Amino acid sequence: MDWFPLWLSLRVAATSTVFAAIIGITLAYLLAKGKFPGRGILEAIATLPIVLPPTVLGYYLLVTLGVRSPIGRAWQSAFGHTLVFTPTAAIVAASVSAMPFVLRTARAAIEAVDPRFEQAARTIGLSEWRVAAQVTLPLARRGLLAGIALGFARALGDFGVTVMLAGNIPGRTQTMPVAVYDAVQAGNNHRASTMSALLGLIALVVLVAVNRLTCATRLEQP
Amino acid sequence: MTPSSFFKRSRTSMPCLSMRAIRSVVLASVVLASVGLANVGLANVAHASIAFGPKASFATAAKTPPKQLHRRPGNPLVTTAPTTTTTVAATSPVSELLVAGASDLRPAFEEIGKIFTAQTGTKVTFSFGSSGQLAQQISNGAPFDVFASADKSYIDQVLADGIGDAATKATYAFGRLALWIPSRTQKRLFNVLDLSDPSIRRIAIANPEHAPYGSAAVQALKSAKIYELVSDKLVYGENVSDTYRLATSGNADAALVSLSLVIANSNGGQYVVIPSDAHTPLEQALVVTAKKPRSASAKAFIAMVSSTAGRSVMLKYGFLLPGDPKPLGNNG
Repeated sequence: MDWFPLWLSLRVAATSTVFAAIIGITLAYLLAKGKFPGRGILEAIATLPIVLPPTVLGYYLLVTLGVRSPIGRAWQSAFGHTLVFTPTAAIVAASVSAMPFVLRTARAAIEAVDPRFEQAARTIGLSEWRVAAQVTLPLARRGLLAGIALGFARALGDFGVTVMLAGNIPGRTQTMPVAVYDAVQAGNNHRASTMSALLGLIALVVLVAVNRLTCATRLEQP
Repeated sequence: MTPSSFFKRSRTSMPCLSMRAIRSVVLASVVLASVGLANVGLANVAHASIAFGPKASFATAAKTPPKQLHRRPGNPLVTTAPTTTTTVAATSPVSELLVAGASDLRPAFEEIGKIFTAQTGTKVTFSFGSSGQLAQQISNGAPFDVFASADKSYIDQVLADGIGDAATKATYAFGRLALWIPSRTQKRLFNVLDLSDPSIRRIAIANPEHAPYGSAAVQALKSAKIYELVSDKLVYGENVSDTYRLATSGNADAALVSLSLVIANSNGGQYVVIPSDAHTPLEQALVVTAKKPRSASAKAFIAMVSSTAGRSVMLKYGFLLPGDPKPLGNNG
């Protein structure tokens, strides 16, 4: 049994969770607190990856980041290799599909924070930055973590976007879900079922963690 | 126990994670993420070092010395390569070839790959898919060294996108279509015409839009004049191996797939070979898509496909070979 896909998947999922968390929580805070023109459109665009079929999303990314796009060409001249069909592309794919899950969960958690705490912080003269960093986000932390865990699970399970953007290259870009698909194609049911069971187990553990985190949020709120 | 007491109990018996536990989990994932970032960031450099590094010195015969060693100047992993490679005179410039192959090639090419590795020391990694999808990936920058299509039109498509060495384009085989039915269908004698039988509810074929075997299957059904009768029963697989899986998993009652996959594993079913004049020939062509210095190894691989050893593997899996007299189609 070749364990490369599991190792690659864990690396890709962990790395893309970091990106998804940073972008997702920032956007969640902006959308929950900010009043600015184009807010509705921004929210719709940020949620699009949940709604779009993964292959469509993958195709958009391939067109945007591929060798014929300006971004793809700039990447190639900067790093000497293409962005698409590399492990980095798998990270981009997983980040994009995981981000909206972080965003939605985080936004709900931020909105659930009692505004009186924030107002109290403002009355003692804290800047908006410090209100966010010292009051709102710490109070919403369990919801934020639940969103991150959900994002991790989504990143780990991504198939459609990854296979479009990073391809199915064994030993290079073949993540667990892609390896399961490839094993089924090859008629290797034993390998497919072993890896599926493992992926299922990891997803289950993450979801149990998410449940416990969200129940804690509910109990903690006054 | 009243429902409300049950819920209360369940909540207390499943305590929420403490913040300390969460903190340690977060710390662990941050560590994993930074390891991941470092590894993935280095992956391409590491690939270069594997390709040209000390490992390559174990490889045996090769004619061309590595030409382009300094892909990443200043990287210690890569700059150590010239010293190790120059001490061993005959060294393969690449330790691993990436070959994109049509799905029908999986059994045959995996065997040819093993022979190639045994002879040259160069590992061959395959990525199998439908020819159309692979061509699309290559046009978008997928780093394959060889593209072996199930239809020569996709080779032309890749060449038109400015990728690949047109001089290396060659027809290496003609694909054959087979009709497979599972043993549970209990038909002793059958041919394409039996597909209109009501006991056959679903017929799996590859997607004719982008899989050459799919359009060959449609043509075979049309030339048997039963396409209109069975068109409602057709279900599409993404490529031939996906199509075959639809039938072997019991979700379709028959499949029109490549003979090679059926020969490799008949899954306890029966099959008949479709006469090759029932469809336009599945002229399978390949091309070297690697750039120097990898192209030398890629050329060695395509030479292997049409070598005596390669041809005997292709014949074993039912392919017709260019230059061979065409055997008559058998109709079961």
